[in-house]
Amino acid sequence: MKALMSLGALIGVAGLLLLGGMIFDVIPSNTVRLVEGYMPMQMLFEFACFVAGFAGLSYMMSAMGMALPRFWQGIGFWAFVLLYLKFRVYPPIPFSVRAMYGTVSLVAVFMWVSASEEDWKKFKQPIMNVLDAQTGMNRLLRYAYLVILPILIGGFSYNVMMPKSEEPIELRTVHPAPPASTKVHGKTYTLQTSQNPYRVNQEGKYDQEYTNANIVEQGMGRLMKPNANPWDDKNQGYLKYVREGGEIFFQNCHFCHGDNLNGRGLHAFAFNPIPANFTDPGTIAQLQETFIFWRVSKGGIGLPNEGFPWASVMPPWEQHLTVDEIWKVILFEYWHTGYYPRTWD
Amino acid sequence: MMDSITQKAGIAAVAAFGVVLVSSAGYSSVSAQGLPEGFKKGDLAPEPSAEMIEAGKRVYFTKCVWCHGVDGAGDGPGADRLWPRPRNFNQGTFKIRHTASGELPLFDAKKPIPGQNDLFETVTHGLPGSAMPSWEGILTEEQRLQVLAFVTTQLVKDRKFTDKQSETQTVLQLAEIKAKPATDESKKRGSELVVEKKCVECHGMEGRGDGNAFNLKDDWGFSIQPADWHKCWNFRGSRQDPYNVGNIFRTFSTGVNGTPMPSFADNTTVDERWDIANFVNSLCERDALGNPLPIDPLTDKPKINFVVPSDLVEGEIPTDMEHEAWKKAPKRYVAMGGQITHKPRNFVNRIDDIWVRSLYNDKSIVYLLEWDDRTKSVAEGKLPWAPTQVNIDIKEQEPKTGEGESIAAHQNNYTVYNDAIAIETAVKWKELPAPIKPRYLFGTNDQFPVDIVKWEADGSLRAFKGTGWDKDFEERDNYEESMKLLKGEWKDGRWYVMIQRPLGNKKDQDYDEDTFFEMGQYIPTVFFAWDGHNGDAGRKMAVSAFFYTFMNPPIPRETYIYPAVIAVGVVLLEGWVLTRRANKKKGKTL
Repeated sequence: MKALMSLGALIGVAGLLLLGGMIFDVIPSNTVRLVEGYMPMQMLFEFACFVAGFAGLSYMMSAMGMALPRFWQGIGFWAFVLLYLKFRVYPPIPFSVRAMYGTVSLVAVFMWVSASEEDWKKFKQPIMNVLDAQTGMNRLLRYAYLVILPILIGGFSYNVMMPKSEEPIELRTVHPAPPASTKVHGKTYTLQTSQNPYRVNQEGKYDQEYTNANIVEQGMGRLMKPNANPWDDKNQGYLKYVREGGEIFFQNCHFCHGDNLNGRGLHAFAFNPIPANFTDPGTIAQLQETFIFWRVSKGGIGLPNEGFPWASVMPPWEQHLTVDEIWKVILFEYWHTGYYPRTWD
Repeated sequence: MMDSITQKAGIAAVAAFGVVLVSSAGYSSVSAQGLPEGFKKGDLAPEPSAEMIEAGKRVYFTKCVWCHGVDGAGDGPGADRLWPRPRNFNQGTFKIRHTASGELPLFDAKKPIPGQNDLFETVTHGLPGSAMPSWEGILTEEQRLQVLAFVTTQLVKDRKFTDKQSETQTVLQLAEIKAKPATDESKKRGSELVVEKKCVECHGMEGRGDGNAFNLKDDWGFSIQPADWHKCWNFRGSRQDPYNVGNIFRTFSTGVNGTPMPSFADNTTVDERWDIANFVNSLCERDALGNPLPIDPLTDKPKINFVVPSDLVEGEIPTDMEHEAWKKAPKRYVAMGGQITHKPRNFVNRIDDIWVRSLYNDKSIVYLLEWDDRTKSVAEGKLPWAPTQVNIDIKEQEPKTGEGESIAAHQNNYTVYNDAIAIETAVKWKELPAPIKPRYLFGTNDQFPVDIVKWEADGSLRAFKGTGWDKDFEERDNYEESMKLLKGEWKDGRWYVMIQRPLGNKKDQDYDEDTFFEMGQYIPTVFFAWDGHNGDAGRKMAVSAFFYTFMNPPIPRETYIYPAVIAVGVVLLEGWVLTRRANKKKGKTL
């Protein structure tokens, strides 16, 4: 038991040092990366480690006769949660979301410290001590609070009342419902039944399985399959079209969607909303190939109102590309990200 | 068992520490080997293993080939619409190094240590200001080393990283050179040195990269441009840490291979190099208090705030930029991307940001726009189309492989048009249910048009009504008298333009064409910029996203009164709690 608690304490100290390093920017906040796609699970695990670490730490400290009062434990843990959310989670999450988590954890801390009458008493004790001001230190604290609290609250309300020019919040639907069919270059495509004509095998037949087998490896650094190089001159069918799609992508799309299809292209920084990140499992991996075909052909202008068509710089690519070129680009996007398109059934 | 390993590790660590100590003790400012100050001889790295090269080939043909090409000649399908062009690896010429001018960069397939592995750092952090992204988090450390093993052994064809006969390594010992603090004295000396060492001939009198802007070519004959010292986030070797003066010191010490930027290691002392680096670093844009701008980690550019606040002034709006009101007005960074939505598309936008400030009084609003443009461009002749025309048919450049046809080759050889800037605001924005706006490029339709005020370098200021991206502008003829150009000046690579327009009201103005500016409201605003020497005209331009002009209302008196009342209330509350507690202790109950 003791060994377990010591281990916990060790984890706690190491974790606190790591977090401290990130807060003071000694360690960049993306040092120990939260793996894309697995982030929630990894975060929960890490958090559980922290809790175990703190339990161990508090046990060790009380064993050494330096027990931390329950009051400070509660406050300390709450502060830890806030700091963890702000400095550990990368990419950063907005303040409004952090505020929500902060409130939830505040409630949790209260439930923890008020679990039994005795605990609650222990928790209240430091507050009562200050109110009663039996010792010199507490008297000093009481006077300090008397002065500081009104100033703080007054200042805070002044800050709130001061007119500010903050960016208005706009909630945009990223994937609006697609239409049943779309007309591109004079031909109508039914989204439910259309197929990518280039998803073919070496014999030139539509073959979902064959192309899926040639999709690059999953994981962070998605690479092409060994011996499935789209730049090989001997390629026929799928891989040849992947290469042609890639050429079109790098002549037209990568300026915004990025060399790695992650929405961080050369011009991306200027635009709002930022271009779509195809490597994010929430984009093309969730969508049908025909949905992408509709979005690429019609661009930002073609979006319904909830998709903010006025703010998008995505051109209707049918003005610049042929239907065949659009299908090839889509083929390339799935190949490069390593995702399979969703199917209707 | 466990102990012996720890012991060994301990000995190794102590030994390593000893080596560092001894080696740094041997370092002196004037080298015995006749090397430039701050440099030391280095060893060539061993050749990477065959497996590594093979694994690197897979990385290369998935990620890099699209720009750098099958043979690494910098001619992939993406290359021809990029400027600067992707690196041609064949000659082994690399820009960002810790090695002396002309030498190969540091690369060791087994040592991904900052400061000791130039190519690894370039792949990791990317080259800001170019299309080369940061590959950190995309490729693992191992994959980054693998791809470099492939590039250095298979695609660098004219030189060999392991050839002891032909290659030397003279390494800048940046980690061991103590940085000189950026005192005023150091910066002043640096400012004198950049003139003395002729830096200003290329980088311009104010360091905006505007000197010699037409004649510079790289080793492959492509026109290139000197760095703009005011945009340190675009420094290729900034390593995602743009305000770090060490990066400037390194570039200045080693030169930039393949470009006209030489190494100054031979004709400056380390001390002088720090002075120059401190001076160059001090020029980079900072906030009003002189602090570095916050950099967005996702884009490596300054963070963007999409609200352009406008402050109220009593009486006339000052036209002098040095006026207190302008100095106090918040300055906003407006990022600009290329207009690649409608033909003719602008893949290479040379204006990548503008700075906006604004003031207003009871009648007008004034925008002060500043942006860096290396060349002052005023059209040589008349435009071959009407200025209101949107659908001009400028032939778009095909992405052709080959130096003669590519955008990079064409740069600086375009017909010169006017530099220009435009502010587009939404008309009738109050009727649009929030958050709906007209389309950012020239409005939606007749019902929801936009109001475009455009200034051109010939001194003209015109207003247009835009009713959709595919419709010609309507020029507004009665608007000229109500607008005013307060300033339009190009100086040392920077434009300063001050445009005044009426706030608009229902009585005097045309509600269907005018934007009405209202205090305390978010007015959708877009900025467009044209670089005349980039062939920018019509819709070939740089565009911003939607910003908001926000006219700050005067601070109401309540803002000062209520907090005071609240504070007094808190004091009373405290008194009540304390009294109650005291009474309770004494056993009294209220």
